[in-house]
Amino acid sequence: MHHLVRRALSVAIAAGLLAAPAATALAQAPAPAQGKVTFTVGIQSDVDSTNPFTGIVVEAYESYALMYDYLVSSKPEDVSPMPSLAESYQEAPDKKSWTYKIRAGVKWSDGQPLTARDAAYTYNRVIKGDFEQTNYGNYVTNIERAEATDDTTLVLYVKKPTPIMERLAIPILPEHIWKDIDGTEVKSFANEPENGQPIVGSGPFRLVERRKGQFLRFEANKEYWRGAPKIDELVFRVFLNADAEAQALTRGEIDFAYDLQSNVYESLKNKPGITTRSSQYPGFNEIAFNNGAALADGTPIGDGHPALKDKQVRLAISQAIDRDVLVERVLQGHGSPADTFIPPMYPALHLDPATKQTFDPAKANQILDAAGYPKGADGVRAKDGKKLELRLFVREGAESEATGEFVKTWLKDIGIEVNVKVMSEDALTEIIGQGEYDMFEWGWVVEPDPDYQMSVFTCGKRSYKDGDSIFADLSDSFYCNPEYDKLYEQQAGETDPAKRAELAKRMQQMVYDDAAYAMTYYYNDMVAYRSDKWTGFVPQPAPDGSLLFQYGIHSYLTIEPVKATSPAAAAAAEDGGMSPALIAVVVGGLAVVAVAGVLVARRRRTADADERE
Amino acid sequence: MTTPTSARSITWARRRSTLARFWRDFRSHNTAIAGLAILAVFALIAIFAPLLADPDGLNVAKATAKGHQPPSADYWLGTDQNGLSILTLLVHGTRVSLIVGLSATAIAIVIGTLVGIMAGFYGGWARSLLMGFTDWFLVIPFLPLAIVLATVLGASLVNIIIVIGVTSWPGTARLVCAQTLSVRSRPYMERAKALGAGDWHQMTRHVLPNVMPVVVAHVVLTVSIAILSETTLSFLGLGDPTQQSWGNILDSAYGTGAMSNGEWWFVLPPGICVVLVVLAFTLVGRALEVVLNPRLKEG
Repeated sequence: MHHLVRRALSVAIAAGLLAAPAATALAQAPAPAQGKVTFTVGIQSDVDSTNPFTGIVVEAYESYALMYDYLVSSKPEDVSPMPSLAESYQEAPDKKSWTYKIRAGVKWSDGQPLTARDAAYTYNRVIKGDFEQTNYGNYVTNIERAEATDDTTLVLYVKKPTPIMERLAIPILPEHIWKDIDGTEVKSFANEPENGQPIVGSGPFRLVERRKGQFLRFEANKEYWRGAPKIDELVFRVFLNADAEAQALTRGEIDFAYDLQSNVYESLKNKPGITTRSSQYPGFNEIAFNNGAALADGTPIGDGHPALKDKQVRLAISQAIDRDVLVERVLQGHGSPADTFIPPMYPALHLDPATKQTFDPAKANQILDAAGYPKGADGVRAKDGKKLELRLFVREGAESEATGEFVKTWLKDIGIEVNVKVMSEDALTEIIGQGEYDMFEWGWVVEPDPDYQMSVFTCGKRSYKDGDSIFADLSDSFYCNPEYDKLYEQQAGETDPAKRAELAKRMQQMVYDDAAYAMTYYYNDMVAYRSDKWTGFVPQPAPDGSLLFQYGIHSYLTIEPVKATSPAAAAAAEDGGMSPALIAVVVGGLAVVAVAGVLVARRRRTADADERE
Repeated sequence: MTTPTSARSITWARRRSTLARFWRDFRSHNTAIAGLAILAVFALIAIFAPLLADPDGLNVAKATAKGHQPPSADYWLGTDQNGLSILTLLVHGTRVSLIVGLSATAIAIVIGTLVGIMAGFYGGWARSLLMGFTDWFLVIPFLPLAIVLATVLGASLVNIIIVIGVTSWPGTARLVCAQTLSVRSRPYMERAKALGAGDWHQMTRHVLPNVMPVVVAHVVLTVSIAILSETTLSFLGLGDPTQQSWGNILDSAYGTGAMSNGEWWFVLPPGICVVLVVLAFTLVGRALEVVLNPRLKEG
């Protein structure tokens, strides 16, 4: 789907926090609504944009799913396709179009009716759009045009039979609002509530208030066609780090803590009233290589190390990475070693390679020797006088930084010098698009339909030029293989799921063999929530999957307060309290300060005595 | 009186006796001796860090222990989130913290002394300009300025030194300027001028030696502030994450749940080290001020 931004400590926010700690602390939590049932979710990456054409982080996509409807959705049990705003859909016998029956009587939050015309407008906008293609272009590659034949019938005309038609994840936008925002304006359009006016949408919630870096407040849509949510308000509260988020959960300020790091997750186990959950998740992390940065038309860009264009070097690096150790030490066991880019959570599509690039430094050394990179006197390999000194960019945060340290040490053993640099995700995104890197550590969350993720490795998804500036597209490895592109084209027209899965596996094998990435691990979704106060979560997939941030908004409709709570239990839940150990730390700290203070005071007295002499 | 003594040897004799008197005065301050002792210990730790704790102990990839372990026989101060010994981090952190503190102070002192002497010596519009500039720096709150600079320059050890250096010189400049003004109005300056001494000669030969005592005392106090600043910036995640400083240890503790878990062995030791070093520098600095500044000494 998109890069999962796991922890982005924005320095700007940090500065603001320091400048006015008290004010910020107060403003961070939205005022609790009187007599309303509010469910608060802690997140660490702020929604980067509430405009569905702009945002990239998982949290942003979650907000679109809350505000808008989609033609189709994914079942909670097994993530298979299910009808949504389209109550039924059908492929025409001539295979040249698909007809979607739009639910009648659905209304926008401003009272206007939602019809097939809105859906047609949204799809045509993406099809004809330019900027609009960035987030949703891959869904419409084979769709020629959209047409509303009446208020409840949407017809999508396709160029060729297309497998993705049951997986179209484009939010349907209200035409009467968005027609006034043209193709240029949409790039900077915030889509945020103004003057207390909520955003017009049709989803189970509508956005009523948003403070950047602080919170998003949604109000339930009691008329929602799938049934009214059982909560009145939903708040996404932004935290600077997982620890602050965990403390807020312990104190009962938030009800659900999303995106926890393994360390913090472990610390929340066995706390009263809190349930921790580490679920299998369709996300992976990788060390991405600069396979030879170029624009989509093949013009070279950036300053990547030439050795990384050599498949043998990439393979050697991949074989020097001990994935089991990364899972054990970086994720503390909350994940599994990764090889291919479609995670095992999608068993029909996931490829488990027959021969794996297992951790084998001796083999890696052999490969590099054979490829003509002899070790120099200083132990660093070189070819044609150019040393194998590679930059590795990691992101702020304990997990990424630790991975960087491991990789640096392992690669040193095979004669490759690595300079690790830590940077913010914003800065890294910029650098990747320009191709100005050798390697970096990041990851993706993979959609149930593999098309989007597979498109990431196509030649056409490399960066592009507009005027004099280079803009990033989806490719972050600049992998380009005409054979792969051919398979990609083929699968895009393959409607037999079994045959398409076969193609998807061949594509994974190709990327794996070429080592476009050195995959590191598939990680679990680590969350914790107040099980003493809330119930009704719907896991996806059943029974051990994620509770929130799913494909679809299933849990948000059914979450409800725990009913028969005894007053004592409620009181206990309210009183997060300080642990004895924490008190010890505070007391210890105060003691140190006190001793220092006494010493300084005594020193002053001596000075006074001196002066009085 | 049989052998004629050269001017040079008279100077040296005078310097020796001054130094002896200085040491006698300084020694009479018990707290200063305590401060000096603490500093000596930390300096030794910093110098011999690689011998005291194997540098391999800083490598995440070579750690074998579990993360967040309480103190044990093998790990006297427990382990951090990656299973590294906190004691090892602390020992090597001493080095980084002291290097940053001393280097940043050097930058601050050079800038501050230069600006201060120039402003005090030339007077007139030059002073208004330079002191205006100094005041401007003085009123900007330190932390936001340092954060902005650190963000723009990027996280590295050298940049952190530069950031702290260029944000902590105004105090020195003010102090030196005031002292220069008093030196400049002394009669011997007029004599030197009458004998044909140029500006440069006057500044380096007459003003600088006379403001030096003030500068020296101030240096020591500035170091403690610089170390504290480094800790603060590193704690805020603006330090060099590849260099283990005390502030970085605190940052990791904060970022990985150690604080809410009550892991005192992760939080207290770096905190205590910072407090001790800052305290020691302050004690020594205050004693120096009293010894070197006659006005503070005997009323």
